[in-house]
Amino acid sequence: MDLTGLGLRVTAARPHVLLATVPGGAAVRLAAERLLSSRDWPQVPTPAQADLLLVAGPDSPESQAALERLWRDLPAPRARVHARTADEVEAALDAGRALLGSPAVQHESAALPAEAGGHQEGEHGSRERHEGDGQAPGHGGEGGGQGERRADDAHGGPGGGHTPHDAGQDREAEHGDGGQAHDDQDADGHGNPGGHGGHGGHGGGRTEMPGGLPMAEQGADRDGLALDQLHVSLGPFLADWPAGLTIRLVLQGDVVQRAGVDEPATPAAGGAAEPYWAQPWLRVASGERVPVGEAVRRRAAAHLDSLGRLLAVAGWPAEAVRARRLRDDLLSGAPRAAVAPRLERFTRRVGRSRTLAWLTSGIGVVTAQKAREAGVSGPAARAGGDVTARYRQWLTDIRRDLPRLEDAAPLDVAMEESPRGLWSAEDPPSAALIALLPRLLEGAELAAARLVVASLDPEPDELAARSAVEVARG
Amino acid sequence: MSATTAALSLLGISLIAVGGVYGAASVVRIGSGALGAAPFGSGLEPTEHAVSRFHVRWYTVTMLFLAFDMEMVFMYPWTRVISAMGPSAVIEMFVFLAVLVTGVVYAWREGALRWT
Amino acid sequence: MVEAGAWWTLLAAPGLLVVLAALAVAGNAVLDARNAGRPVGVAGAVRPFLDVPRALVVQPRRLPAADRLLWRAGVVTVPVAAVLSTLVIPFGGHVVADLSVGVVWFNAMEVLTWAGLWLAGWGPNAAFSLVGGYRFLAQGLAYELPLMFALISAATGAESLRVGDIAAAQDGLWYAVWMPVAFAAYLAGVLAFSFLGPFAYPAGRDLAGGVLGEVSGVDRLLLRAGRWLWLASGAAMAVPLFLGGGAGPGLPAWAWSLVKTLLVLGLLVWGLRRLPVIRADRYVEFAWVVLIPLTIVQALVPAVVNLNR
Repeated sequence: MDLTGLGLRVTAARPHVLLATVPGGAAVRLAAERLLSSRDWPQVPTPAQADLLLVAGPDSPESQAALERLWRDLPAPRARVHARTADEVEAALDAGRALLGSPAVQHESAALPAEAGGHQEGEHGSRERHEGDGQAPGHGGEGGGQGERRADDAHGGPGGGHTPHDAGQDREAEHGDGGQAHDDQDADGHGNPGGHGGHGGHGGGRTEMPGGLPMAEQGADRDGLALDQLHVSLGPFLADWPAGLTIRLVLQGDVVQRAGVDEPATPAAGGAAEPYWAQPWLRVASGERVPVGEAVRRRAAAHLDSLGRLLAVAGWPAEAVRARRLRDDLLSGAPRAAVAPRLERFTRRVGRSRTLAWLTSGIGVVTAQKAREAGVSGPAARAGGDVTARYRQWLTDIRRDLPRLEDAAPLDVAMEESPRGLWSAEDPPSAALIALLPRLLEGAELAAARLVVASLDPEPDELAARSAVEVARG
Repeated sequence: MSATTAALSLLGISLIAVGGVYGAASVVRIGSGALGAAPFGSGLEPTEHAVSRFHVRWYTVTMLFLAFDMEMVFMYPWTRVISAMGPSAVIEMFVFLAVLVTGVVYAWREGALRWT
Repeated sequence: MVEAGAWWTLLAAPGLLVVLAALAVAGNAVLDARNAGRPVGVAGAVRPFLDVPRALVVQPRRLPAADRLLWRAGVVTVPVAAVLSTLVIPFGGHVVADLSVGVVWFNAMEVLTWAGLWLAGWGPNAAFSLVGGYRFLAQGLAYELPLMFALISAATGAESLRVGDIAAAQDGLWYAVWMPVAFAAYLAGVLAFSFLGPFAYPAGRDLAGGVLGEVSGVDRLLLRAGRWLWLASGAAMAVPLFLGGGAGPGLPAWAWSLVKTLLVLGLLVWGLRRLPVIRADRYVEFAWVVLIPLTIVQALVPAVVNLNR
């Protein structure tokens, strides 16, 4: 009896999915979340737990290295599928299931150790990933087959060519300059652009650490103690996290000591860089006539999406699922009467939860004045307070929008704010939210930091739209 | 069957079961080698070993906890002798607890129970 | 009186524990399905068990410089300690071993999860796991003492640390009725040492799974099973401690034990989804300033009652 084959079939019956949303993939993510929930395919946050890597969104050369990293960390049985548009999700999931259930494919996948995936040594060693969007086209062309592409150079710095993953296999090699990579990383957050091809052999003097990684180094903390620091990044591919946002943290214990935001990655040039949640506003800007009801519906759904994220981060999965169901119902055009009672129950349960308010109070305070000074105009500014105030503001806004879901009057961009604030292509509301983040995160606990980000919930895709505007002008 | 035998047998049975599951997996699992993976870093490479001197900011609470944990060592046997010892046992135990709780209140006012 | 030491109990106790844990998982799956708008039925209830064969076929992973020995030791400790805790839990008229210090034994096994989870977080040499492991220690500082005072309240009521005696001492009036604070603190403690629901802090979604983030295959299966085994064990222990054990009219003792255990288990599974994760940085203060004084006063009640007896 082929027990392994049986196990594969069972795995394929309920695959655990690692959903990686690339920039510009919001609509695909929504379709995927809806489908995964209805099929009872659990979404998992890390590769170790996953069988299926579902990449949601348009091709994004800048995200390729990080996707490769995730993919190489998935243990067999595994499959990787890519849904570029919302319509492709169902087919992609079915393809993934077929791949997972196929013994031939999986035996091959397991027999190919990681070396085969990413061990093309050499010429890509100095490539940088975080220098900004100008490089995107160049990246797309190089590297050939995606499966062969080295993902290890994502980090930049002199150690870029020699990563833990390699060194696990070839420990003897001269990879000692990892510590230096760490220093550089420390200095400017994302490695120095420029040639580091020559550093490869300079590591001889250092003590070799297991796995080719340096140990954590000390740094002064806020109380003046010298403590070990860990460099951990939140994003680009993190569950319940804005797609395309990367925040690099220096952690001491679980306290964020420093936080730096990377320039958001952008979809491939020429791709649909339209931020999904601001679509009605963009369409008005391009001269189209959009009914207010549609915009209001999109805004309420956006708030529900943000709430779903916040509740998931706050560890309340049952209510997060409810928020996402309501969001999906709104987006699928459900009439007000069908949604209103459930929405009412949801806003009551979450809005009046004393426990949730107790757990989120005093975290990430942004006063109304500070918000205005920072150029924030949306719910975050009107809430003027902590995480509690902000999620309650979302709930209030949703209830306020509810009677207008079927309003057919034309949308006035100056009157109706987009989900994250008054829409302006030059200065999208999310830019101000992202600018707030480093100051709010520093000194916060990791859990609090996640709550702060989730309660502001910036949409990096909006920034991509801005750079598209700039490109068009320039 | 003595209590010690029972406890050891139960341990043995659970370890055999655990070993059985690992054994079954080693027979059934796909592929022969282990996958060389990196710890999850949101898609980025790790920059250093995660095992480090962790900044445990709640260490003052651990001191308080130790005091109470020692107190438990007295309180477990105490439960068995209340009637035999009479009111003095109850008074002594709860005066002792009151002293400890006073310490907790002091620590609380000093902010030892908050670290964020 | 309970009868101890029958050889078949050595297999029955773990077997029953696994069945109860499986029922809890199935019940949780049903609630999940209803919440997500999927059809509710047996098919949905058993779907989580597809993870078991799946865990067996998964290729092992090797992380750079992971402490594999400690990691695995930690992972194995959690379910094994849960099974060992059943040594002293009477079910109907039977128990594996009626230790004179049964309450202390249960407490000691539960505290083993501190070591187990911390090691499981430390082992993989991954930042999020490490933070998750430490999170459980912080959580332990908050939940452990109220739980211990709750256990001691029950033991004080019976003036015995033997679980069978405690069940027998509740003749007529359950401890859950006149020690409600202890009962509530105990149930919160059960959720906490199972690190489920509002106490899933060490395995938080905000940490990409925390202690569960890097485990795969059998390790993952055991650690997750450990949570539900502990939930089942805690529910089973609540019956002799607070709900009069197998006593009850009409039905045999084992049936009453089963009914009461299932009710407590159902209550816990239902309660899992009612609250967000209570972070230790908030819970520690609440536990020390509110719960500990309350449970101490609660322990005083049976002590005074004993004196007047």
